Amino acid sequence: MTTRTKTLAARRGGGDASRNLPLTYDPWILGAVLMLVGLGLVMVYSASAVTAQEKLGDSFHYLKRQGIAAFIGLLAMATAMKLGYRRMARLAWPLLLFAMLLLIAVLIPGLGTVVNGARRWIRFPGVSVQPAEVAKVCWAIYLAYSLAKKQDKVTHFSIGFLPHLALGGVLVLLCMPEPDFGSSVALLFLMFVLLFAAGTKLSYLVGSVLMALPFGYHAIASSPYRLARITAFMDPWANRKGSGYQVAESLMSIGSGGITGLGLGDGRQKLFFLPEAHTDFIFSIIGEELGLIGVALLVALYGVLIWRGIRAALNASEPFGSYLGLGITALIAFQAITNMAVAMGLVPTKGLTLPFVSYGGCSLIMLMGASGLLLSVSSTVEGARRRAVAQKARGHTRESTLVDGAEATA
Amino acid sequence: MRDLKRTAAARVDDPTRWVRLRVSMVGVVFLGLLAAVFARAVQLQVRERERLRGMAQDQYVRDVEIPARRGDIFDRRGVALAQSVDVDSIWVDPSQLLDVKLASYELAKKLDVDRAELYDRMQRAKRFAWVKRQARPEDVAAAKALGWPMLGIMREPRRFYPQRELAAHVIGLVGTDGHGLDGLELAFEDELSGDPTTRLGFRDARGRKLLTNGLEDVTARQGAAVTLTLDRQLQYVTERALESAVDGAKAVAGMAVVMDPKTGEILALANAPRFNPNAPEKSAPGALRNRSVTDAFEPGSTFKAFVVAAALDAHAITESSTFDCEKGAWAIGKHVVHDTHPHDVLTPGKILQVSSNIGAAKIGAALGREKLVDAFSRFGFAEKPDLGLPGAARGSIPFPRAEISLATQSYGQGLTASAIQLAAGYAALANGGTYMKPYLVSKVVDPDGVVLLENRPTAERRAVSEKAAKAVISMLESVVEKDGTAPKARMDEFRVAGKTGTAQKVDTVAKGYSDKRIASFIGVVPAENPRAVIVVIVDEPKTDIYGGLVAAPAFKEIATAAMPYLGAQPSRAPSAAPATVASAEKPAPRPKEPAAKNPVVAAIEALDTVTEPIAAGVVRVPDLKGKVSRQAVAMLLGASLEPRLDGSGRVTSQAPAPGSLVDRGTRVTLHLAGNAP
Repeated sequence: MTTRTKTLAARRGGGDASRNLPLTYDPWILGAVLMLVGLGLVMVYSASAVTAQEKLGDSFHYLKRQGIAAFIGLLAMATAMKLGYRRMARLAWPLLLFAMLLLIAVLIPGLGTVVNGARRWIRFPGVSVQPAEVAKVCWAIYLAYSLAKKQDKVTHFSIGFLPHLALGGVLVLLCMPEPDFGSSVALLFLMFVLLFAAGTKLSYLVGSVLMALPFGYHAIASSPYRLARITAFMDPWANRKGSGYQVAESLMSIGSGGITGLGLGDGRQKLFFLPEAHTDFIFSIIGEELGLIGVALLVALYGVLIWRGIRAALNASEPFGSYLGLGITALIAFQAITNMAVAMGLVPTKGLTLPFVSYGGCSLIMLMGASGLLLSVSSTVEGARRRAVAQKARGHTRESTLVDGAEATA
Repeated sequence: MRDLKRTAAARVDDPTRWVRLRVSMVGVVFLGLLAAVFARAVQLQVRERERLRGMAQDQYVRDVEIPARRGDIFDRRGVALAQSVDVDSIWVDPSQLLDVKLASYELAKKLDVDRAELYDRMQRAKRFAWVKRQARPEDVAAAKALGWPMLGIMREPRRFYPQRELAAHVIGLVGTDGHGLDGLELAFEDELSGDPTTRLGFRDARGRKLLTNGLEDVTARQGAAVTLTLDRQLQYVTERALESAVDGAKAVAGMAVVMDPKTGEILALANAPRFNPNAPEKSAPGALRNRSVTDAFEPGSTFKAFVVAAALDAHAITESSTFDCEKGAWAIGKHVVHDTHPHDVLTPGKILQVSSNIGAAKIGAALGREKLVDAFSRFGFAEKPDLGLPGAARGSIPFPRAEISLATQSYGQGLTASAIQLAAGYAALANGGTYMKPYLVSKVVDPDGVVLLENRPTAERRAVSEKAAKAVISMLESVVEKDGTAPKARMDEFRVAGKTGTAQKVDTVAKGYSDKRIASFIGVVPAENPRAVIVVIVDEPKTDIYGGLVAAPAFKEIATAAMPYLGAQPSRAPSAAPATVASAEKPAPRPKEPAAKNPVVAAIEALDTVTEPIAAGVVRVPDLKGKVSRQAVAMLLGASLEPRLDGSGRVTSQAPAPGSLVDRGTRVTLHLAGNAP
């Protein structure tokens, strides 16, 4: 409350452009992101120490790498906050093209590195880039830019719907050969959420989903490992030694934790029973070691992110900020919910990370950078409010601010 | 007014309101899904917690079941016939190997295992495959020398039969998994196997032990010890005599039983051919069969004694009754019964002495069908003997409706019996007509000293009157006289009552009698106060076919060794004449030894040489607990082990553990405590 009053006072004091004002980022979002990153570092160490010691002779191996990524992520976040999200509008197209180039590059043998049968990484000395993670954030930026620009015509099928669908299709086609089904679904989901929010007719969305069903079915049925994931999901216990192994082990881990957990570092499932304990299945280790209390904390942190992210989107001073805020929030929410649901056997295995927590430098850096943008969106909330108040005082309607903002951006 | 109107219009048309609403909806849906995820966590971590935790524990707290040390099997004097020793088995974790095929070839070469079989095992197993179970010490050394981290060595108990072939048919076998496959090992599986030890150990998914949490040996319980009525010495003598009889007659098989008629205890139970239970895979086909118990055959003339006893008991005949023996051929309907030698009129005693089939048939006819069959069943025929051995034959006595059946059954054809049943039947005659239940296992005692089973002499029933039994025994003494069928069974110092048998074997293909024979001799010795009933049966002898020639000498060999051993009082002073007969018949096995040497002593000395060393260069660590240092050192040196003492007084613990197999010269550390005496 004090913050708000202060800002209002500052705005009243004079100045015309919001960027000249002292920026006030949403402390909830910042706090939640930092806490998630911190929790992630602790859990990555706990989950990977034994495996790292075993395989690499250094129990801190994964922690060190994740720590470096978190540091780069902090820099990315600060940069994004400093630059402000508005600059992203101009970069939307170049970023999308860059992401597409990366997605193509990773498919080239020699450039893309194969891990566990999937060609998803481009290794550079010191860092490895996961193009799909880059693409998700760039796609959110592009969609926000495009929808904000087409504001009025977004409901038109050929202007507002088809081009996005086509671009989304290109991205999915680039992701599938890796193969990366999870990212493909995330990209499409992001698109649908933003199109829905922007006002695309529900019939288009539902219709296109129905049309995509046969392709989705084909994608699953044609790939033995995806089919196995479905059967594993249907009954992990029946396939406990085979395809259901991960899910069954994950369920056992989480269940073992109980309310209070076995204690940090005392989990037993990570002793090679649970594959990818520090990456895709880190939630299982949180459930085992920290129990329901730890899960509640994690869920609460994501809840805060969603709540404050949506609030930032609603209160953004212009449509681009609004859509970008929504897009980034949706990206985080979708991955978090899906990852936890997979770990608890609610949906089939996807291969999506737990945002900010799972081991994976590229994902962490991209998401922290995106959080910087979200914070940047949130920082304009007070400005929007002030402007609304001011305009109300001048007899303007509040909703026109959004239109103004859109025009300003375009 | 204008403002109000605009606001109302905006509520309906303005797209931005819809945007806000839709964005909020997306937020609400996300929060709802998040709540659902949390609800699932509550379900898993609160409601299903116990079940899931239990399942998780099942995999990392692996109960390692280690079979208990199997109980030993002892003879009546406490000599071990079957023991358990700890041996090393080698296993591998194939998931840790880069090239399973190459590795399996290497292992097969180094450890002398079948290459294809090993590769197959290693391919099928995810994380654990036996490379070689019950490996020899040199294999273990070779495995260690390879230095592969994925190779493991596990101690497993292994069954070992220190007396090799001795009583192998009775004791039976265990498989590599330590479960009984045959004989007493199978029959007393539950008692012998004991309770397996359960060890709790935390293991990761690769099966490596991470830590143990003090819960070892929760239910360690050794198997129960089984004590038999068999006597190792008598068993040895019996087996040796039977084997030489079978070999000498070029027969296919043989059976022999020595029984104490007063108690029903089986003192020896032998079969030929024999096998070494330490290497059963090397034995001849059929050698594993415990024929004495499992095979029922047509016994032939030995059955005549039961017929005479039953007829005397029923007062159908008297000892002085006479029967016309029809000069060797008697027609019954279209069948003709033959004797080997033609006779005129004979008394029952004479009929037994010369083994007249016609005489026996006439006695059977005098007794009648019902009474004959009744008498047979009182002697224990067509009744499964309860020895605790698997697969005991019941034998069969079909009711003799036809005249000819009555006749043939009276001389032991057209019915079947096992060697054990014959021994028990003769034991009833020798025991004054009282049938004692035959038994083989005297005691089963668990390690806490609880007696699980104890057999005592049991008088089952009266088979015939004492008078009839005694009369038949005395008639049977004439069989071993010069004009009887088995003078070769005659002993110098002991009176022998016996009966020969030379039965025709049924030809299963031609549905009639073949020219194959089963030659037998059953003797009771000493006749006046029987201490042993000895049955010797030779299956399909080739050189001679008569029981008096083929089986009687083996009986004599067994009886000669058994009588002094059992402490029987000689019936008479040895006369000069029969002694020369005896020496001519059976040359002393060791001519250089003094002639006066007791044959039992010689036999027992010979016996010690059959005890098998466990493996070349390998010795078993003796149990030294409670021994004083001097004694312990002497025992270790005697076992070719190097003692190393720690402390003084009596041995409180030792390493390696008692019973383990170690290389000769291995250092055994003894911890001593207390005051030296």
